[in-house]
Amino acid sequence: MRTVFKNGRIIDPSQELDVVGSVIVEDGQVVDLGEDIEIGEYDELYDCEGLWITPGLVDLHAHLREPGEERRETIKSGTQAAAAGGFTTICCMPNTSPALDSPSLVDFILDKAASPEAGGIFVQPIGALTKGQRGLELADLAALKKAGVAAVSDEGGPIQDASVMMRAMEFCLQLDLPIMVHSEDLNLSEGGCMNDGPTSAMLGLTGIPRSAEEIMIMRNGVLALNTGCRIHFMRISTWGGVEMIRQFKYLGAPVTCEVCPPYLTLTDEHVGEFDPVFKTTPPLRTEIDIDILMQGLADGTIDAIASDHSPYAPYEVEVPFDEAPMGMSTLESTLAVTLTHVTHKGRLSPMETIRKLSTAPAEILGLDAGSLMPGHTPVAQITVIDPNLEWVFDATRTFSQGKNSPYHGWSMTGKAVLTFCGSEVYRCAHFDEERYELALA
Amino acid sequence: MLFFENSTRTRVSFEQACNYLGYRVVNFAGSGSSMNKGESLKDTILTLKHELLEAVVMRHKASGSAQLGQGYFGGPLINAGDGQHEHPTQALGDALTVLERKGRLDGLKIAIVGDVMHSRVARSNSWMFSKMGSEVRFVGPRTLMPSSMAMLPGEVFYDLRTGISGADVVMCLRLQKERMTDGRLSSMGEYRRLYQVNRQTLKWAADDAIVMHPGPMNRGVELDDLTADGPDSVILDQVSNGVFVRMAALKWLFDGEETNS
Repeated sequence: MRTVFKNGRIIDPSQELDVVGSVIVEDGQVVDLGEDIEIGEYDELYDCEGLWITPGLVDLHAHLREPGEERRETIKSGTQAAAAGGFTTICCMPNTSPALDSPSLVDFILDKAASPEAGGIFVQPIGALTKGQRGLELADLAALKKAGVAAVSDEGGPIQDASVMMRAMEFCLQLDLPIMVHSEDLNLSEGGCMNDGPTSAMLGLTGIPRSAEEIMIMRNGVLALNTGCRIHFMRISTWGGVEMIRQFKYLGAPVTCEVCPPYLTLTDEHVGEFDPVFKTTPPLRTEIDIDILMQGLADGTIDAIASDHSPYAPYEVEVPFDEAPMGMSTLESTLAVTLTHVTHKGRLSPMETIRKLSTAPAEILGLDAGSLMPGHTPVAQITVIDPNLEWVFDATRTFSQGKNSPYHGWSMTGKAVLTFCGSEVYRCAHFDEERYELALA
Repeated sequence: MLFFENSTRTRVSFEQACNYLGYRVVNFAGSGSSMNKGESLKDTILTLKHELLEAVVMRHKASGSAQLGQGYFGGPLINAGDGQHEHPTQALGDALTVLERKGRLDGLKIAIVGDVMHSRVARSNSWMFSKMGSEVRFVGPRTLMPSSMAMLPGEVFYDLRTGISGADVVMCLRLQKERMTDGRLSSMGEYRRLYQVNRQTLKWAADDAIVMHPGPMNRGVELDDLTADGPDSVILDQVSNGVFVRMAALKWLFDGEETNS
């Protein structure tokens, strides 16, 4: 089986490659790519003229909800949504029910993700850092690592006790297991449901001060510096957080961080009509934060862009704002929002955009992904992007079961039109049928 | 009449307004949040809608719940207090009370004193009075004042003396006991020392200043007895006027008539 991606703009940050050319896949693996390569005979051909050919996108941070919360999402619907969003590898968070704190649950997820009904992409489980994600006793981390987790995390219920966190870091350093941290001081954020600021004051909603995030970034950064354990800061939302991480990197702490598109495009003022789709954690902040987050992306302080895909059942968000759960369904909007509001606004080059969405996240967790280099990944992971496709995001028509998107009705410029993970796993209706050709007779 | 949260005062006021107007009232006392109760706000409201109720008066502990409820009900819904967000009929009654005593609202200095952070009365009154041309001031301790008041129409003062200096109206807010347990205040006594409106501190306001309180008041805390019961106090007028403006609001909703409130 020989598949040709012909005449696209190949953007592969893993090789610093940005050329117009073709990519050849044989039996599911990239065998050649570049300008002026011999296309030869083929079984299928994608004409990629005017489109980008990039390594399959990699998401560090998605909630697939299975097991236990299938009302919100399943591994099947979540991986289909990911494929439609251009992702070929996604990391799923351990805050399922039960929490992902045992090897058998890791096996369960890997089996489900590999089943033919699923979306055909790779799911990389993230294990729970503590038993039941209760923040008290460490989970069996060596066993989890052996079962295949790439990192561990307590997600939205982070360890509050600094001595527990320090021991966790020492143990993870020994296992060479990165910890993904959500930085939140739960005392400071208690009862809060949106950013503490003028809008929360006007609406009479309890605010979450930025200090709740910044204090924990500071604590975790100090512990990373002193223990040497690798820490990945998830979903940074404050300008202070960016400045601190910049400083920790300067000091040589083994830290990386991600931002999610909502923190680059939405502010707490969007909560003005009490619509729970704008409720997330950490909360949406302000224009100043957006500005510094954009700078952090551009200067490399922020390594990756992640979705923080957090789907909910419709009835869960048809409630008063302070009773609603926190999170947004975003796998199918992450690339488009990034292209529309970051890349096309000149804040990131196409190369850097793909780095943040593919190569960098793969490198952070050491995943077999994020590169088109022949032999780099077990199967070819390729995303074809139409950077100029104009379309309107319709949250009611997503693959994800979670319709809680803040971007419903937004005009987008750019979309993944083809996702390939060993074989085609998603092809957008916009991908002109004339661009696809089966074997010449 | 849909009260998800206990409120004897507002409920009786609305009932009395309906009695005067000859409207029939159905009471629905919910308790706690939809999560605890098992039925969602959406389902409760849809049930009432299909029992053919013509209007709903709703009190709920969640800010924004009235707006959400109105969306599901479709017809007239009066917000009888949603969390810390708004309490519009209270503000209408308070405005009427001030108008009766002062003959005008524009140009008056209105000082709202106390736990602004947790007060829907403070928010609704700030919109009400600023819209009518009054100058609104928020006065209270930093721990009970939101960190940024930029989107609310009024200037912030942390000191009672400067805050009520020259004020025509001094409106005290209720202080909840839980402000001591959540670490925002050490004691009622400390609050009294800094923010009590009494015969001494009221001298800082205008000579003919009136004193208001939405009730229920902690006697001897927000106000001393002599001030609460004194000639400058219009607290009981607020209660009576509350009934009248609720009548007006209900009648306006049903008849679409303009009323002079």
